[in-house]
Amino acid sequence: MTVFHFFNCAILTFGPHAVYYSATPLSEYDTIGTSVKAAIVYLGTTLVKLICLATFLKVPENDSFDPYQELLKALIGFIDVAGLYFALTQLIHRNISQNHKFQAVGLGWAFADSVLHRLAPLWVGARGLEFTWEYIFQGIEANANLVLNLSLAALGSLMWLRKNKPKTLIPIIYACAGVLATMPSITSYLRRALGWHPPKVVAFELASSLVMAFISWQLFAACQRPSI
Amino acid sequence: MAGRWRGGGGGGEVVGSIYSVLALVLILVACVELGDAATAVDVYRLIQYDLSGAPYGSRLAGLNHHAGAAPFAPGADLSRTVVILPVRELNLTFLQEYITSKQPLGGLLLLLPQDIRHKSAGGNKSRNVGLLRSLLSELEQLLIHVNLPYPVYFAYEDDKINAVLADVRRGDATGQPATATTGGYKLVVSTPEPRKASSPTITNIQGWLPGLVGDGTTQLPTIAVVASYDTFGAAPALSVGSDSNGSGVVALLEIARLFSRLYSSPKTRGRYNLLFGLTSGGPYNYNGTMKWLRSFDQRLRESIEYAVCLNSVGSWNNELWLHVSKPPENVYIKQVYESFSEVANELGVTVGIKHKKINISNPRVAWEHEQFSRVRVTAVTLSELSVAPELLQSTGGLYDTRHIVDETAIHRSIKLVAESLARHIYGCEGKNIQIFADNSSLAVNPSYVKSWLDLLSRTPRVAPFLSKNDPIISALKKELSDHTDEVHLQHESIDGMFSFYDSTQATLNIYQVASVTFDLLLLLALGSYLILLFSFLVITTRGLDDLINMFRRPPSRKAKAA
Repeated sequence: MTVFHFFNCAILTFGPHAVYYSATPLSEYDTIGTSVKAAIVYLGTTLVKLICLATFLKVPENDSFDPYQELLKALIGFIDVAGLYFALTQLIHRNISQNHKFQAVGLGWAFADSVLHRLAPLWVGARGLEFTWEYIFQGIEANANLVLNLSLAALGSLMWLRKNKPKTLIPIIYACAGVLATMPSITSYLRRALGWHPPKVVAFELASSLVMAFISWQLFAACQRPSI
Repeated sequence: MAGRWRGGGGGGEVVGSIYSVLALVLILVACVELGDAATAVDVYRLIQYDLSGAPYGSRLAGLNHHAGAAPFAPGADLSRTVVILPVRELNLTFLQEYITSKQPLGGLLLLLPQDIRHKSAGGNKSRNVGLLRSLLSELEQLLIHVNLPYPVYFAYEDDKINAVLADVRRGDATGQPATATTGGYKLVVSTPEPRKASSPTITNIQGWLPGLVGDGTTQLPTIAVVASYDTFGAAPALSVGSDSNGSGVVALLEIARLFSRLYSSPKTRGRYNLLFGLTSGGPYNYNGTMKWLRSFDQRLRESIEYAVCLNSVGSWNNELWLHVSKPPENVYIKQVYESFSEVANELGVTVGIKHKKINISNPRVAWEHEQFSRVRVTAVTLSELSVAPELLQSTGGLYDTRHIVDETAIHRSIKLVAESLARHIYGCEGKNIQIFADNSSLAVNPSYVKSWLDLLSRTPRVAPFLSKNDPIISALKKELSDHTDEVHLQHESIDGMFSFYDSTQATLNIYQVASVTFDLLLLLALGSYLILLFSFLVITTRGLDDLINMFRRPPSRKAKAA
């Protein structure tokens, strides 16, 4: 029964990535290589991030919210953006359209994130006899994260790859990208400083990621228009 | 999907290596032992023993069932339910019926109130404590004399377990009892099958205070002070026996200390040898006492003028009993009794005398002095109990904890015994001389008594589970050797009638589990979510026609991709 539960949670956590890949044209254009490379870049970025965190952050004695430390953490979180920049611009991909490139990178990025952060707790925790909602929430969180990463990758591709975009939209794009990049810090703030309960936090994450995805989509579509 | 992934052209090798790394990590993680219970509680198993080959007590140790709490619907099948019973609200007749009708249970978890472990404040509680005490002793007698083919555990009530109990009750009240399909709590004790303890040993400890050998006499008479120190109870790991017979042991140690001070100077050394014996095997017809006496040679045995056995002297108010097996008219008995009652009068307490004949053919030995009487040594037992206990009764069970023992009662007992012995030794009978007067250098030391009582009340002392050099045995030996000479340990094995099984305590893990139906529903919900997501993505990125085509001719898409 508990293996069953683990299976359920694993489906919830990793299923959407696979579905996204197979349902969208990504699978048709065989962009798995790009995703894997993005995942490897993610690994490297995470390593750098870990080193930075270990160097600059104190070990918190309690679970309280220290604004200075959190600010530092948010700044270190921007290393993610640098990693994403590298993945989007510097990697030599097979000749795929920008449209698919950002999706493949975002997907690989989100998948690597899920595997790295959620697989081990899931394996250890969800197979236990004890039932908690934690792993179901974690799965939903993984979904939100996928949407978030795709949006960020989309905005990234707008920022760095597309040359002829409407000038009026540029500040909006940068602002949205900033919001997306600080999203992990915002949720951490909600969770720790305001003491929100997991259901609330997860609902917020889901809602915010959907809103951001919608905005990014609109921006992307708006930038697409003149080029057509 | 995985097949499609692996077919991913250039990235194929990379994916393959990632898979192997993942597999390795998974194998490593799978080896990690899972110990993530929400609640872990220390539990103490009901004793499991065989008496002349007949099985008694809880016969199993491993537990893995759902929790349930009373009241149950009549005729409910509880063979896969762990029944949680708080002793505070225990209906003994319900349990008795259940046990006598031999209905199967998944297991039994009895919750002991914290009161019996800690001293309860307030006067109005003392009546409750008295009720609880009698309830616990009844429960104990009930449980140790039946054969229960399921695991029975004791645990102390605490917030965690009370919350679980309340939750279980709420669940039971709203619906049917918890089973695998309705969730609830699962209680798990993973412990190996209990094994028969191989040749349990009992250890007697003895020490001498030799008297002053004067001219002309070659052998001095001996007075023995004896107390049995081991216990027996429903839960061996909880049988600390503060009163039975921790109080006797404390009294013996203090008497040894007092006389060692007197005997340290030749001026005050009496013309009697004092023999101190801490015997084991008390609950089993004083088996250890018998072996101890048998190890004496004839001359020593004959030199014993009389022996005073101390048994449960820690919670009496005004009356102690001198149990004897020779008629009170016997001259030696009369002499001992008079010396006791004289001191008792001065202390303002009464000592009564009870005569119980011994029946040599009956294997039951109710008092320790009866073992002495069987080898024709004059002996008495001083006890607060007025009637002889049955086998395995009043041997330091569940309720017999520190808080029922009254320190002042022990003081008075010590004074009574020490004073009457000293008057006999120094021949001051009839004279109003207090040798161990309060505030003198020979007064009873309250902190010494208290510290030993506290130590004994923390230490379960069921003989079969004490090793030969158990810390408590070493401590008793060391303490006795501080005050007396020629301290030595005698290791014996318990006579064949009893055999015991190990695993007396364990850790109970309480898991809140989800039902299978919940997981099935979750799977359904997730499946439909993924299908919806898939359809949505296909429609938004490729159009509805593609989705329909996909179902009509699945291989066409692959052909297109190639």
